[in-house]
Amino acid sequence: MGGLVQKVKLFGEYIPWFQAMRDKGAITFDELGLPTPKTEAWKYTKLRDLNTDDLVIEPSNFLSEMRVTAEEACGCHHEDGGCGCHHHHGKGCCCGHHHEEGDCHCHEEGHVCECRQKLQVPFDAYVIHFEKGKMIPPFPDFPRGVEVMNLMEAVITEDAKEYLGKVADIKLHPFAALNNAYMEEGIYLCVHKNVKVDKPIVLINHTKSGEENIFFNIRNLIVLEQGAEAEFVEWYNYTGAVKSRYFANLVNEIVLGKNAKLSHYKLQDEAFKANHIALSVVKQKADSNYHNFCLQRGANIGRNEVKVLLNDENASAEVNAAYIMSGWATLDTTTDILHLSPRTYSSQLVKGVVGGEAKGVFQGKIHIAQDAVQTEGKQLHRALLLSDTAEIDVKPELEIFADDVKCSHGAASGELDENQLFYMQSRGIGREEAKQILIDAYLNEALAKVKNPEIRAWLSDYAHAPQE
Amino acid sequence: MNSQKPEIIDESGDKYKYGFVTDIAADSAPKGLNEDIIRFISQKKGEPDWLLEFRLKAYEFWKNMKEPTWAKLNYDKIDYQDLSYYSAPKQKVAPKSLDEVDPELLQTYEKLGIPLKEQEVLAGVVAVDAVFDSVSVATTYRQKLAEQGIIFCSISEAVKEHPDLVKQYLGSVVPYTDNFFACLNSAVFTDGSFVYIPKGVRCPMELSTYFRINAKNTGQFERTLIVADDESYVSYLEGCTAPQRDENQLHAAIVEIVVNKNAEVKYSTVQNWYPGDKDGKGGVYNFVTKRAACRGENSKVSWTQVETGSAVTWKYPSCVLQGDNSSGEFYSVAITNNHQQADTGTKMIHIGKNTTSKIISKGISAGFSNQTYRGLVRVAPKADNARNYSQCDSLLIGSHCGSHTVPYVENRNKTAKLEHEATTSKISDEQLFYCEQRGIGEEEAVSLIVNGFCKEVMQHLPMEFAIEAAKLINISLEGSVG
Repeated sequence: MGGLVQKVKLFGEYIPWFQAMRDKGAITFDELGLPTPKTEAWKYTKLRDLNTDDLVIEPSNFLSEMRVTAEEACGCHHEDGGCGCHHHHGKGCCCGHHHEEGDCHCHEEGHVCECRQKLQVPFDAYVIHFEKGKMIPPFPDFPRGVEVMNLMEAVITEDAKEYLGKVADIKLHPFAALNNAYMEEGIYLCVHKNVKVDKPIVLINHTKSGEENIFFNIRNLIVLEQGAEAEFVEWYNYTGAVKSRYFANLVNEIVLGKNAKLSHYKLQDEAFKANHIALSVVKQKADSNYHNFCLQRGANIGRNEVKVLLNDENASAEVNAAYIMSGWATLDTTTDILHLSPRTYSSQLVKGVVGGEAKGVFQGKIHIAQDAVQTEGKQLHRALLLSDTAEIDVKPELEIFADDVKCSHGAASGELDENQLFYMQSRGIGREEAKQILIDAYLNEALAKVKNPEIRAWLSDYAHAPQE
Repeated sequence: MNSQKPEIIDESGDKYKYGFVTDIAADSAPKGLNEDIIRFISQKKGEPDWLLEFRLKAYEFWKNMKEPTWAKLNYDKIDYQDLSYYSAPKQKVAPKSLDEVDPELLQTYEKLGIPLKEQEVLAGVVAVDAVFDSVSVATTYRQKLAEQGIIFCSISEAVKEHPDLVKQYLGSVVPYTDNFFACLNSAVFTDGSFVYIPKGVRCPMELSTYFRINAKNTGQFERTLIVADDESYVSYLEGCTAPQRDENQLHAAIVEIVVNKNAEVKYSTVQNWYPGDKDGKGGVYNFVTKRAACRGENSKVSWTQVETGSAVTWKYPSCVLQGDNSSGEFYSVAITNNHQQADTGTKMIHIGKNTTSKIISKGISAGFSNQTYRGLVRVAPKADNARNYSQCDSLLIGSHCGSHTVPYVENRNKTAKLEHEATTSKISDEQLFYCEQRGIGEEEAVSLIVNGFCKEVMQHLPMEFAIEAAKLINISLEGSVG
């Protein structure tokens, strides 16, 4: 197992129910092991390049903060003065920095947090920053009815106890089991009954060049109570020229109450040597709506898996995605939509552009349980191959146990239409430019599914063709 | 090998001495599978050494293989040591007249429109005659065919009469290492047919195993080998169109087809083995490996299948499109009712340039049955301009059945154009209402709609098959409505 299984001291070992979950995660991962090409769910995404031997898990911030706080040596400006940081010193400082080294540069006078300065979210939003999988305070001020904590805080207050670890079934997902074992970083987001959040909540994880061989886990728990509405954006960002190698293992557990509506967007823009494996599991109650869009454009192995359980009547989900890649990457989009009640609806549109020696993988599954009559499930995957060495592997799957349903799926792949290129060239558009226009138009169909126009524009900027 | 041989014969002779004394016993080997049994089969059939060696190698390999579990099938574990690997395990006492035949069976024949004489043959009343009949039929055909150089005989005969051809092609499309059931078949296959169409010959008639397989009751491990040489054509029919109450537990067959330059092979199957009773008891386990290799340029192969029988079906007729411009087609109708399970589909492997393939699969599930379409379309890096179109439609009748679609599409060439579509639906109440309004009964209306649903596939069946197959569909769906 190499560097995936390590002995690290994490915060919260004294909380029995929580530590039990971590232990179970470790045991389950040990039992399941890493997926092999024979594992059906990982048939096409080969993990042989994962190379986990030299991966390092950085020491827990929570523990180091506690130690430092006890010695009253925290040099941070926690009082005020713009920091606005909600540091809970009694429970363990959640500031993402190693204070014992005395170099908390972010909050020193004259310094503006470097990471935040670099990246501007081009739309009005509540932004939460992470660095290398560890949260950097402060939190923005959220309006009433929106509760955001770091995960450990929610564990201590037991706010997270009801759902944490109960949405994602770790027996089916080895990497989720591994994530369980290292559960510590992440956020707990709860939107109270009938509260509509006015701006998107954005979680940015920054990784910089030179940060080699780090292995980090993030676990987010998102709960929307009855009638609540929110937009949640995940942005995995990498800056720097040197291609670092690191491994991000992420799990989101999402619970939507009756009539709740969540729009969930994601931009995966990791370093080209990094590996990014993410799982989102969504449990939906009656009349709720889950709207998901993920754009993947980075990483060596990038996998975004979305599993939606439509548990009650009239729940609906829309899971769309796009991927664009070149180089050696493998980008995997896996969906699993389970229609477990009558009159549930789902639709999926996934489009991809694959160049270089890259490999695009799409595995989509629609499951309709026996009593889930009058349901509708739609799925479409289309991919463009740009080079002779690119590869696309698709497995759209229907599993239907009820007769009164409408279900369809489609998959197609091919290259750019020579006639269309010729048409544009004959009108004075250069071949390369014409290609670009066609690729943009191709992906646009999927991007058009993004409801929020500002977020759509932001994602569109990233959805450009890879350089050949 | 040679020095060992007498010793082993002695040994087996010793072991089975009593078993082999009488004629009847001599035709069936004791239960179980081991090297001796394989030597016994080979010896009984008077096979040459190379074939025995082939069988033993397969058996050796099979011993270390595991039964596949990936299919969406749920059946009792098969005890491979509890089967008899030579001859039919059960000696049936032939009924003396039609009065003694199961009336249910007769009813079915009537619905299929099979004339009385044939009914007698099928029910085994005049079993001896039937054997003679079909043999003589085969013989007349054989002479006629031989005039053109076509070889059509059982594979055991072919081993003796045309050893070079068999040796050249046997196992060349489906090697014994291919899969668990193919490997088992390679070790113990008992009979099957061999077809060779020489260069430039268009086979003047449809070749069929219809009577031969039925009457002779050969069966658990058939092996068919078809070789179509350059610029030849043959249409081959397999299976039985009348339900045979076969209680054999396991069928593991292999069909290998070799298609050379500019040649074309059409292979049609109507499979209607015993599907088990209404509660899912009994029935045939049908594990079949069928593969065609389009070796030459412009070669063409087309699989058409109508699957209505068997308790468990595991079958993926495949095309390996090696030659440039070769093409493969797969048309399938699968109907499952009661507790039947079918996991079936196809594989299209595009290797040559400009290869095309087409998949039309129609699945109808009723009762408590479960059906899976599992298909693979793979385009190799050098298969420029490969083209595939797949369409899988499922129809569900009743709320306890399941229908699943698992297509795998692997594209490694940018010039390839691949399309896959699948839909699932039920017979809409409007359609039924429309028919009923016009005086068509419910059951009749369902069969009308189902036949319309399957039409695209049925039209690829040879004429005489198509009519019976359409009737078969109606019978299979009996009792699924209302």
